[in-house]
Amino acid sequence: MVTELHNHPQWGMVVDVDRCTGCNGCVVACQSENNIPINLEEHFNQRRAIQWIRIERYWEGEFPDVKARFIPILCQHCGNAPCEPVCPVYATYHNDEGMNVQVYNRCIGTRFCANGCPYHVRFFNFWEPEWPESLKNQLNPDVTVRSRGIMEKCSFCVQRIQRSTRESERDSVELKDGDRGLNPACVNACPTNALMFGDWNDSESAISQIKEKESYPGGRAYGLLENMGTSPNVIYLKKVDESVGSSNGH
Amino acid sequence: MIPGDFRTPKPNKNQLIKMAFAGLIGLIVFSGIVVALTFVLSSWLGQPIIFGNEGPDQPIAFPHNVHADQLGMDCTFCHRTVEKEAAASVPATGLCMTCHSDVGDGLEEIAKMRSLYDDDRSIQWVRVHRVPDHVHFVHEAHIRYFTAEEGIESSQVCSKCHGDVKNMEKVKQVEPLKMGQCVDCHKQNNAPTDCATCHY
Amino acid sequence: MLPLIVLLVTIKGLLMALTRRQFLTLMGGSAGAAVFFQACGVPEKELFIDSPIEMPEDLVTGLDNWYATTFKEGMSSQGIIVRIMEGRAKKVEGNTDHPLNRGTHSSSAESMLQLLYHPDRIDAPLLRTGQRGSGEYKEISWEEAIDRLSSQFTSLEQSGEQDKAVLVTDPVNGHLGMVVKKFVSATGIRHMTYEVLEHTTLIKAMDEVFGQDNIPDFDIDNASLVLSFGADFLSTWVSPTRYSRGYGEFRQGHEHRGKLIHIDSRFSTTAANADEWVYVNPGTEGVLALSIMKSIVDSGQVSQDVIEALFDGNSSLLDLYKPELIASFVGVSESKIKEIGDLFVKSEHPIALGGGTAGAYTNGLQNLKAIYSLNHLKGNVGHKGGLVFTPNSPIEGLETTNTNSASEFKSLIDNISTGEIKLLLLKDADLYYGLPDSFGFKEALFDIPFIVSFSNMKDDTASIADLILPQNTLFEDWGTDVPLAGPGYQSVAFQQPVVRPFFESRGDNLGTKSFPDVLMTLSQVLNKNLDLSGDTFLDVLKDGARQLFDLKRGTIQASSFQEFWMTLLARGVWCDVNEKSINNSYVGKVETVPEAKFEGDGRFNLVPFASAAFYDGRYAFAPWMQAMPDPISTATWQTWIEINHKIADELNIKEGDVIEVRSSNGGVITALAMPNPATPPNILGIPVGQGHRDGGRYAAGRGSNVLSILGTNFDDKTGALAWASNKVNITPTGEWIRVPKFENSVPDFPRDEHQQIVEISTGNNNHVGH
Repeated sequence: MVTELHNHPQWGMVVDVDRCTGCNGCVVACQSENNIPINLEEHFNQRRAIQWIRIERYWEGEFPDVKARFIPILCQHCGNAPCEPVCPVYATYHNDEGMNVQVYNRCIGTRFCANGCPYHVRFFNFWEPEWPESLKNQLNPDVTVRSRGIMEKCSFCVQRIQRSTRESERDSVELKDGDRGLNPACVNACPTNALMFGDWNDSESAISQIKEKESYPGGRAYGLLENMGTSPNVIYLKKVDESVGSSNGH
Repeated sequence: MIPGDFRTPKPNKNQLIKMAFAGLIGLIVFSGIVVALTFVLSSWLGQPIIFGNEGPDQPIAFPHNVHADQLGMDCTFCHRTVEKEAAASVPATGLCMTCHSDVGDGLEEIAKMRSLYDDDRSIQWVRVHRVPDHVHFVHEAHIRYFTAEEGIESSQVCSKCHGDVKNMEKVKQVEPLKMGQCVDCHKQNNAPTDCATCHY
Repeated sequence: MLPLIVLLVTIKGLLMALTRRQFLTLMGGSAGAAVFFQACGVPEKELFIDSPIEMPEDLVTGLDNWYATTFKEGMSSQGIIVRIMEGRAKKVEGNTDHPLNRGTHSSSAESMLQLLYHPDRIDAPLLRTGQRGSGEYKEISWEEAIDRLSSQFTSLEQSGEQDKAVLVTDPVNGHLGMVVKKFVSATGIRHMTYEVLEHTTLIKAMDEVFGQDNIPDFDIDNASLVLSFGADFLSTWVSPTRYSRGYGEFRQGHEHRGKLIHIDSRFSTTAANADEWVYVNPGTEGVLALSIMKSIVDSGQVSQDVIEALFDGNSSLLDLYKPELIASFVGVSESKIKEIGDLFVKSEHPIALGGGTAGAYTNGLQNLKAIYSLNHLKGNVGHKGGLVFTPNSPIEGLETTNTNSASEFKSLIDNISTGEIKLLLLKDADLYYGLPDSFGFKEALFDIPFIVSFSNMKDDTASIADLILPQNTLFEDWGTDVPLAGPGYQSVAFQQPVVRPFFESRGDNLGTKSFPDVLMTLSQVLNKNLDLSGDTFLDVLKDGARQLFDLKRGTIQASSFQEFWMTLLARGVWCDVNEKSINNSYVGKVETVPEAKFEGDGRFNLVPFASAAFYDGRYAFAPWMQAMPDPISTATWQTWIEINHKIADELNIKEGDVIEVRSSNGGVITALAMPNPATPPNILGIPVGQGHRDGGRYAAGRGSNVLSILGTNFDDKTGALAWASNKVNITPTGEWIRVPKFENSVPDFPRDEHQQIVEISTGNNNHVGH
């Protein structure tokens, strides 16, 4: 079983918080790629807006010693995901490629999975998504449109992974690390290149090399809430702030 | 037992009317259920269970048996993208016209097609094979697998799911094309049974 | 089906006198049957396959193709590639070949998809039937529209009043600029260029400090220190996508992490990302810059040549700006000023840049000049990690229009009031929205006999126009782009239609048309020779491409023009990284900075800021942008007021309170209060972008337009709108509206002060994920 897994790519991401400016470019790119329903004012008011990747802004201090920190949060595709064992119909599971897959057609909407996710990256379609007729022309045919009552979350743009791997096999062309057809929409969009995508099993991939470089005591790599034992497939790189005490700086 | 135990009182007029009415309603409900069940069963099987399955009427009665069998045309001559893309694709009218600008004078169906072509209007074919929106079926991967695995031509793979189209005058769906069938074939052929292969 | 079942069961229920429980059971069962019926229903259109007529290779279901084009955005642009499936635009991504954004793209580029397919797009020329502003229009054909427009021109020409017609456009460059300029000179009408948030002061500063006519490329990628005054360059200023790309490298792209110090009176996104945000009193940025300069000059690390060039040898004018003298005036401590000066002079590759609020006072130009002069101290112009200006484009005849200042528009409005303007043509110039009420445009427009708008989404000015001629969106149009904020070497980006015009099916006489083509057609009807190298805009473009082909240098070279043209369209942009020859020797003299004058005596300094979502209001039509949380406040869909949280407490204001903001010229807007810990106590930050009269269903009547309450205050030297020079007062109205924001949709992550993380060492199993 373990050897089998090593034959499959293990998809993951690196998020460099030091590069992120909080521009929300990834958020809109994701909404465009994945047919995410338009978040109306009422949706925000009811705290049920759907954003598969979001930018969280944290305040530190107050004027004049004030800082704001931005961090992009997306599904961590946990190796030990709290959302997977609780689904009564196995609509969410961990596949051979290290991703947490959400199968829309199996979902019956108990929302137990969202209940368990410590990152709050699972979103429920409380309403039937609606688009004016002409805007439907923009919808991505590679992605199923979810109706009311279905859970959804970041899928690492699995439709792009499927398409790229299929086309590379069809054309007998090797799929290189950092291939832009393979990268999720958010990774391609990010103006500062704060998001990186790749294969953890490939030691030459950009993300593996970064993890290698930054994983030492005092290094920048960490997993979000990793002490909870979720084994996230997304590594974060800490923001560098020279004015903060030396316990976590370079 | 007392005499008169099983003697039901004769219904009076009111009760008779009520019973008749209830019976009528019951009959309607019963036939409604029968219709619903027929509908559901047909849907489940993927083809109608009453009235026979002759395939839908198409706007132009294109006979596959004439073209694929008698003339020996290959499936991929018209359904060109089956070896490259997810959809097999219905050919453009322009492809038909490569022959039929000359061939087929006097045939009504050809005349219909020619007039549509001249008016720059597309032919609205009725879909025969359809999988739900949440299934992303890719023809190319299947053609590639079977041609490599069984060493056959692309067009010989088609009949595995579409039946003997070569001998159909009107195309009809012969396989249920339900998920069970897909998964069975995947398991037999060691193809991925990961949900994310088709559902995303 | 369902109602029938309900009816039947109800009747049955009535007849058999069912108990309530039995009735409900039956209903539930029947509802189940109803679900079967509904679920089996497939929309009819999905049961048909339309076959194409000819054999376009890219019209196969599921096949995607990416086409390159260019998204022009004010002073800058982004090269984009658009995913087309079955002739529909699905996704925008960055073009890796484009020198500015290099494969990345902004949310505004993505939102253009929603413009292409917007339900409220105008699909035919419209002629006003009701009162101006009533919104009553009727559709007319292009033939009739051109007819009406040309007769306007002809009648003006007959009375020799061509100069009483004004064409107002957004800043145009490339071949579009060429056509506009030629049209204007052939017809004799006036042309003005309008920007809601103008860059006139910045461009003038570039001229006076560096002797250049364009905005330099700031090589943030390779800089070691960026000292930014007021310019929110990571979010909205000039070329945020390009600067953000540079910022990523600046931070973690090489061994030495750069340092960003942002000096601003408002806590902007750039301030949030800065290593240090230094609050400065509004209007005093220039004084602060000169004080930093003084501190640097005093350090003795500036060569005599530079002193000679900057001060004619005598830097005594800087004595007025000694840190200890001006510290309290600018609101920055003496030690901080000296620290910044020290950092700047010791830094290997520093950049000083300024804009935004720093240039938006009456002394804006002087502020910017002082700020940019800091660069001369380190001689970073034209060098890696510094400011790199772009040489002129190699194609002849391309014109870039210069934005006219707000004071010039004020004069225009004065002319209108005296009946001097007979015809007003507008393309992407929303005067009604962008000009403050105090300018009087909203009243004066009634004195213009005929107003024509080329808008395709009914911006505010179009909603009061007499004739609307909808133009193609960028995805349906040709063009070239030579942005004013170029990459530091010669480049020409091309824009091509990636989809057929959305309203093509309406025929040749309805639907939308390309703006330059309309001008060229109009000139033919008016019998004016534009002296262009072709009859259609595409021909003119191809001629320009031919000139690039003939150069036989740059990123695209080919043996035949056809091959060159195809490659050019596939790549999207031609550039020559070796062609950066430009004279960087000019050094403008340093001058003193006068005090900024403010209008009104209100308690707060009003800082209207370009919002990350809408910029200056132009993206408000897009639901994605309405729903995009602002980086600082995370608010969406509304207009909010950034106010210091302690001040808010003092005034008993909480988040969501509807507040009236009053400027001294009588302007009033209402917005929702959003107290935050970062806004300085004397500042009120209100985003620009909402408060549209029209603009489609997502924008119309939503929020407030903060620009409307600004006063007619101009930069002393350039006449630009001094939009940060208003002092306002606020009054709570007593109403409360929940602010639609993203924050608190999910609980905050717990923050551990001690940053406890699991020890990771290379020895043991440190797999992440398995």
